[in-house]
Amino acid sequence: MSANKDFNVKWGMAIDLDKCTGCGACMMACQAENNLAPVADASNKQRVINWLVVYEMSNNKSFPDHEIAYLPRPCQQCAEQPCTTVCPVVATERNEEGGIVSQIYPRCIGCRYCMAACPYHARCFNWFDPVWPKGMEKVLTPDVSTRPRGVVEKCTFCHHRFMQAKDKVRAGGGNIYVRGVDNKLHCAVPEEDYITSCAEACPNGAIVFGDLNNPDHQVHKLVTGNANAFRLLERLGTDTAVYYISRREWVRRLGDNYLPDEETQKPRQILPKRH
Amino acid sequence: MGFDRRTFIKFAAGASAGIMVTPLPWKLLDDVAIWTQNWSWIPSPRKGETTYTNAFSKLDPFGVPMKVRRVRNMPVRVLPQPGHPLGGGLSALSIAETQLLYSPSRLQRPQLRGADGKFKEVSWPEASRKFQEELRNAGQNIAFISGDENSSVTEVLSALANALGSNDIYLMPSEAQSAAKAAELMGFNARFGYDLEGSDHVLAIGANILENWGTVLRNRRIFKNSHPHSFRNKETNKEDTANTAALVYAGPLQNNTAAVAESWLPIYPGTEGVLALGIANLLIAAGKTAPAADFDAFKDFVAAYGPEKTAELTGVDRKKLEAEVAKLLAAEKPLLIIGAASGSGAGAAALIAGMAVNALLGNINRPGGITLLPKAGKILKNAAPLADIYRNDLTQFFARREKPALLLIHEANPIYALPNPEACKAALKAVPFKVSFSTFMDETSALCDLVLPLSMGLERVDDAETPYGSGKISYCISAMVAKPGAGVLNTGNVILSVARRLGKDLGFELYEDLLRAKARLYEKSSFESLAAGFPAESDEKVEAGAFSFKPGILDKAFALEGNKGKVRLAAYVRASLGTAKTGIPPYSNKTLRADELRGNLMSVLINGATAARNKLADGDKVFLEGGGKKIAARVRVFEGIINDAAGVCLGFGHSALDEFSQNKGANVMELVTAAPEPETGLNFWCKAGVDIYKA
Repeated sequence: MSANKDFNVKWGMAIDLDKCTGCGACMMACQAENNLAPVADASNKQRVINWLVVYEMSNNKSFPDHEIAYLPRPCQQCAEQPCTTVCPVVATERNEEGGIVSQIYPRCIGCRYCMAACPYHARCFNWFDPVWPKGMEKVLTPDVSTRPRGVVEKCTFCHHRFMQAKDKVRAGGGNIYVRGVDNKLHCAVPEEDYITSCAEACPNGAIVFGDLNNPDHQVHKLVTGNANAFRLLERLGTDTAVYYISRREWVRRLGDNYLPDEETQKPRQILPKRH
Repeated sequence: MGFDRRTFIKFAAGASAGIMVTPLPWKLLDDVAIWTQNWSWIPSPRKGETTYTNAFSKLDPFGVPMKVRRVRNMPVRVLPQPGHPLGGGLSALSIAETQLLYSPSRLQRPQLRGADGKFKEVSWPEASRKFQEELRNAGQNIAFISGDENSSVTEVLSALANALGSNDIYLMPSEAQSAAKAAELMGFNARFGYDLEGSDHVLAIGANILENWGTVLRNRRIFKNSHPHSFRNKETNKEDTANTAALVYAGPLQNNTAAVAESWLPIYPGTEGVLALGIANLLIAAGKTAPAADFDAFKDFVAAYGPEKTAELTGVDRKKLEAEVAKLLAAEKPLLIIGAASGSGAGAAALIAGMAVNALLGNINRPGGITLLPKAGKILKNAAPLADIYRNDLTQFFARREKPALLLIHEANPIYALPNPEACKAALKAVPFKVSFSTFMDETSALCDLVLPLSMGLERVDDAETPYGSGKISYCISAMVAKPGAGVLNTGNVILSVARRLGKDLGFELYEDLLRAKARLYEKSSFESLAAGFPAESDEKVEAGAFSFKPGILDKAFALEGNKGKVRLAAYVRASLGTAKTGIPPYSNKTLRADELRGNLMSVLINGATAARNKLADGDKVFLEGGGKKIAARVRVFEGIINDAAGVCLGFGHSALDEFSQNKGANVMELVTAAPEPETGLNFWCKAGVDIYKA
C-alpha cells in the first residue's frame, strides 16, 4: 500500500493520439507478450480480457465535419491508485522501483473491489480458465505466468522486460541506479532496453515509453511543458503515468468531463490526495 | 494435576499466541492460495534459452519484416525488425503468426476426397502420385492460381504450366495487378514505385496507405518520421514542432488513414479515378502539362471534369477540392497515390488517371514521386514474366464457360475473396479436379478434391521480391524459423519434384536451390545475408520513354455503372482481421469494438442523414441486398462516412477455417458482382449499389 510515494523513477507513457490509426497492433502485441488466451467470441466485452483497449473517439459532429481519433488505454499506473487501497489482501501494490502497479495473482481472492475502484476500467477478471487451442500453449512466452479463473489481471507495463533490462545492467557490472545531472537517482537501464510490447509494436510510433522523471528520456521531454499533453480524468487526482498528446482541442476535452467554460489541463477542482 | 479452568485458559492463550507467532498457518494459507491456482489443465510457459531469428512474413501481403523470438528453438513471439527498409513496428496479422502455427484449422496431412464426397487423410506419397496422375491426364488443359505475387513459387508454377503447354495462370486480384495493367496501357515498360520517403505532400485517393495499401509498415514509418509528436509550449502557447510532409486522404469513409490525415475529402466509393480527373482538370487549368503523346486529347477529355462536374460525380466538396489542388501545386514534391479502399477491384483506369496526375505534377522518375522500377526478373526459362501473369484476370477465369480439367490453387482463397462467391463456387465445382496447396482448411480448400498441407511462412524458406508500393527494388528471403510438422511440405519443392517426375525438369531439385540462384542476381547480397534478414536493394530505374494517358479508355471505364441500389457500398479493410487465406487470427477478434461486431452481427456504417432518409436508426437490424444476395447487419450511425453510402468491413463471414473466424458477420463480397472494365482486360467491382432495409 504504497500510495502517495514519490519515487525517483516513474515509468510512464506518452501516447500521441494524432498518430494512432487504431490498427490494433498494440492490442495484439500485448496479448501475445503477456500470454492472454484467445477467445472465439469476443463480442461480450464484459467477459473479454484485454490489458490494453483501443477506443474510438468522435468529435460528435455530423458529416462532413466529423472527425475521429483512437485512444489506446493501458493501465494508467496511477500514483494515487484507487485500486491498491481497496485490495483486502494486498494483491496489488505500487512498486517503488518505478511506480508500476502490480497484480500478484496467487494473493488475489477475486473480490473485484479493485475493478470497481478503477476509474479507467483497466482491470479484468478471469471468469473462466484460460483455454488455448491444442498446441497453441507451446507459443506462450516464458516471462509471464498464465492466470487461472477467479483472479484479476491488468497491464503491468511489461514489468518482466524491466527485470530483464535490469539483469542486463547487472550482468554488465553496472549499478541499477545512478545519480543524474539533476543530482537525483535515475535508473541506469538504457531507454531503449526497457520498452513495453505495445510501444515496440506500434508502427506509427504513437506510444513512447520511458522514465517520466528522467530529463534524458523522450517521454519526459514530450510531456513536460507541453500544453497538448493531458491525462485521463485528471480531476480525480489519480496522478496517472500515462499521458496523451493531441493537437486537437476536442480530443483533449474528451480526456475529462470538462465543463464548457473550463480549460483543458486546468480542471477547476482536483480531488485532494488520500481522498 | 487436573485440567482446571485456569489451565484451560493458559492453554488457549498459549495456543493463540503460538498461532500468531508461528508462520505455519500463514505459510499454509499462502500455499493454499498458490496451489488452488496451479491446476494441471492451465498451461505453464516453457522456460529455456532465447534466440532471435529474422524472417519475413509470408502471411501478411503488405511486406512485413519480423524478428522472431524462439525459446528452445520454438518460435514464441514475433517482434519488429529494426533497420529493415520495409520495416518499422509490426502489423496485427504478423504478431499472430506464432499462434497461427497451431491454428485449429491448420492442415496436418494431405486430404483426398473419396467417392463418398468426404475427405480422407492420405500419405504424401499417395497424394503426390494422385496429383501427378491427374496432371498427366489433364495434359495442357490445366490452370493455376497463385495467392502470392511476391514469391518465386508463382514463377515455379508458371514454369510448370508452360512446360505442360498451358499459359493459364492467375494471381489473386490486387492493387499490383491494377498498377501493372495501367503501366502497360500507358506504355511504361516498368512497374510503379512510390518514393514516399522523398515526398512532402501525399494525397491518397482510395488507397488506405496506413492500413492495407502497399508496404504498410514502411508507409507508417515514413508517416511517423514526417509527423513528429506535437509540442505546444506552455509558456509561448506555440507549436514547437511541425510536420515535414502532409497526408491527405480521399475516400468514402474515415478509415485508419483518414483518422490521422491532415484532411479528409469524402467521395463516393468507386469514383477515385473521376476525382483524379477533376484534379487533372484543375492542374491543367493552372498551366501544368505532361510529355504524354496524347496530352492534347487528354486535355480535351478532362475539360469535361471541371470542379462542378467532379463534385457532382464524386460527392467531393468543390471548395475543398480546389483547396487541395492548390496545396498540391504549392508542395515541392507532391505525390498522388490511388487505389481501392477494399484493396482490389479498382480496375486499371483509376490507376491511369492517378498516374496522369502524377505526370502533370512532373513526378515521373522524380525524387518524391513515382519511380519507374524495372519489372521483376526471373530465372526459370519456361516461366512467364510476372507482368504477363498480371494480364490474366481471375474473375474472368471464373466467369468463363470452358473450364480446365485440373485447377491448382496455391495459397489462395478465391471462393471467399472474389466477388459473387456463389458463382465462383459453381465455377469451381465444374472443374473436374481441383488441388489446393493450403496451410489452413479455408473455403476454397474445402471444395477441392485434393488438399495438400502447406508449411506456414515461418516453417519454410521463401522469398519476397519488391512488394507493391515499394519505393525501390528489394529482395528479401525469409528463413525457416520453426521446424515444419511431418505432414506439411512447401509448394515449391512439391512442384519441382512433380515436374521432374513428369519429365519436365525445371532445373532445380529444391526450391531453396532456386532461391540461392535468385539471390545471385543481386550483386551485393548473398543467400546467407538475405536469409539473415538483410534485404538486397537497388536504385535501378527505367527511363519513362513515350507514354500516353489513354483518354479513350478512361472515358469508357468511368461510364461503367455498378449495381443500382439505395446506397453505395463502401467496403473497407481492417488489416487485423487477417486475410482471406488466414481468416481472423487468434487475438484479433478481441481488437474489435462492440460497435463493430456484436454476437455474430456485424455493423453497417451509415451517417445520420442517410439513416434518416432510409428511415433507419442506430442499432436497427437491417439487410443489405445487392447482386441478388443479402446479408444481415446492425446499423451503426457513424458520421465519418459520405452521404448515401454504407460502410461494411471485409473479413467477416467465413464458413470455413476455425472458431476464431466462423460465425462472425457476413462476407461482403456476396453483394458484389464483377464487371469487365472496357478495354483494360480487367474486371472492376468497386462501384456497387445495395439496398438497405430493416430486417
